[in-house]
Amino acid sequence: MTATIASHQLRSLRRQRVLLSITVVMVGMTALAGFIGWSSHQTITRVYDQAVLLLPSGADVPPNPFELKPTLSLLSNLTIYISLVGALLCLAVGHVSMAEDEADGIGRLVFSRQISRLAYFGGRLLGCAAAVAGVLAASWVVSVLALMVANGDPPGAADLLRLTAFYALSWLYLIFFVLVGMITVLLTRRRSLALLSAIGVWLTITFAVPQITSGLRPTTSLSPVTDPVGTSQAFFQVTSHAEPLSLAGQYKQASVQILDLSAGTGGQLPFRLLTVAGGALLLALLTGWLVVRHDYSRGASDG
Amino acid sequence: MPTAAGHVLMTAPAIKMHAVRHRYDEEREVLRGIDLTIDRGEVFGFLGHNGAGKTTAVNILTTLLKPSSGTATVFGHDVVHDRREVTRHIGYLPADLRLYAHLTAAENLELFATLSGVEDARGATAEVLSRLDCSELADRRVGSFSTGMRQRIGIAQAIVHRPEVLFLDEPAAGLDPLSVRLLRETILELNQELGMTVFMNTHLLSEVSRVCTTIGVLNHGRLVYKDSIAETLRRFPNEASLEDIYVLVDGAS
Repeated sequence: MTATIASHQLRSLRRQRVLLSITVVMVGMTALAGFIGWSSHQTITRVYDQAVLLLPSGADVPPNPFELKPTLSLLSNLTIYISLVGALLCLAVGHVSMAEDEADGIGRLVFSRQISRLAYFGGRLLGCAAAVAGVLAASWVVSVLALMVANGDPPGAADLLRLTAFYALSWLYLIFFVLVGMITVLLTRRRSLALLSAIGVWLTITFAVPQITSGLRPTTSLSPVTDPVGTSQAFFQVTSHAEPLSLAGQYKQASVQILDLSAGTGGQLPFRLLTVAGGALLLALLTGWLVVRHDYSRGASDG
Repeated sequence: MPTAAGHVLMTAPAIKMHAVRHRYDEEREVLRGIDLTIDRGEVFGFLGHNGAGKTTAVNILTTLLKPSSGTATVFGHDVVHDRREVTRHIGYLPADLRLYAHLTAAENLELFATLSGVEDARGATAEVLSRLDCSELADRRVGSFSTGMRQRIGIAQAIVHRPEVLFLDEPAAGLDPLSVRLLRETILELNQELGMTVFMNTHLLSEVSRVCTTIGVLNHGRLVYKDSIAETLRRFPNEASLEDIYVLVDGAS
C-alpha cells in the first residue's frame, strides 16, 4: 500500500507539472550559481592579470586570489538558493501532496479502503522524498558540469564526495519543508490558508530565527559567513543561545563546512547535521501523528 | 460458524448499529443512540432532514469516524476494532464526490482497486467500466467530466472491488433526470445481479419508492421509523405518496 501511494504521489506531481517546474527552477538555480561563480572568477582573474602587468619588474607578484579558493567555492551561492527558493518550492510539494485528499475530500475514498493511516503517510512522504531526490540529482549533475566548464577539469573524487554530501544534507533540509507543507494542510484544511501558513513558517525559519539568534546581523539570513563582531545588546545575547536551534543557520553553516568554503565556524559539523536531521525526523513524527488522528470524514472545503 | 476476525459471520446482518451515539463537541450530539439492523440483500433508504445525522451514520459505518459510544458492525465486524475487515466488505460513494482530477478515470479506478486489495486492478477496472457502460471514459481525465460522468466513475470506484455492502450518500444530488434513471438502474442491477446490500442516504423520495426495499427515518439523531416499503405503504393507507408519509413521520417526531 505504501508503494502504491508513493507511486501515485510521484505520478500526481508529474501530472500537475509540479515536478517539472521544480526541476527547471532548481537546475536553473544551479546553472546560475555556476555561472555567477565562473563569471566572478573570470572578472577577478582578468583584473589580476592586468594588475600584474602594471607591477614594476622584480616586484613580488601576489598570488591570484582564486587560486587560494577551494574548487567548490564556485557553487557557494547554492547554499543560499536552496535555503531560499528550494525550501519554498518544497513547501508546494508538501502542500500539493496533502491538499487533494484533505481539501477536496478525496481522503474519504482513500480511508474507506484497507489502507492504514501510517502506510498512507509513509507513501506520501516517500513519493515526495523521491521527487525531491530526483530534482536534487539533476541539480548535482548540472553542478558537476558547471565545475567542469568553469575549471576546465572534472572535479576530483574528494570534491565529488563533498558535493554529494552537500546534496544529501540539502535533501534532508528540503524534506523538512515538504513536511511543513503537509502539516499546514492538515491543520488548516483550506488550501489558501494552508499555503499562507506554510510560507509564514518558511519566512520564520529562513529569515526571522537566523537573524534573532545571531544578533540581527543583516546578512545572516542569506550569507553563511559568521560575523566576528559580537553583539552587546542583552536581548540578543540571550537569544544567541538558541542559535543551535536555528535550522536554516545550521544548514548553511554545515553546507559551508561540507563544501569546504572555509568561511564557516570550525567544528560542530556533527551537531549541525544532527539538528537538520533531527528537525526533519521530529516533524515527520508529528505529521504522522496528525495524519493518524485526522478527521478525513469531511467533504470538500472551500478555497 | 467462524467468528474470528477475517471471516464473515454467515448469520450476521449486513449492518447492525447498537446504541450508537456521536457528538462532534459538547453542544453538538449528532447521533443519539441509534439501533438499526439491515439484512443482507436489502436496499435501505435512509431519510431525514438536512443535519439529521445521516452522513455521520455513514461515516461511522465506513470507518471514517469512530462513534462516541455504542457499537456498529458490518457483516459482523466491528467498525472500530476490525476496520480492515469492514473496509474489505464495503464500497462508498460520498456526497459531493471528487476524484483525482489530473488522473484519467481508469487511473483513478486502478488506484482505488489496488488500495482495496484487488490483485488485478487493471482487469477489475476494465470490467467495472464495461459493466457501467462507460468504457469510453477510461482514458479521459476526470477533471474534464460533467457531474453525471463523474458520478458514474464514482459508482465504479465504489464497486470496483466487488464489495458486499454499498454506501451511497446522496447519490442523485445534482444529476439530471436521465442520469438519475441510469443511477436507479445501476443500483437495482448491483442489488439483484450481484446481491449487494445497498445503504442509501437520500432526499429523493421518488427514487426511494422505486429502488428501496426498506426505509428508515432519522430525526435529530434518532431513528424514528424503520420498515419495509410494502409495510409502510400498508401502514399509511390514507397517504397518497411516500413523500406524504415521510412528512407525516418526520413531522410527528
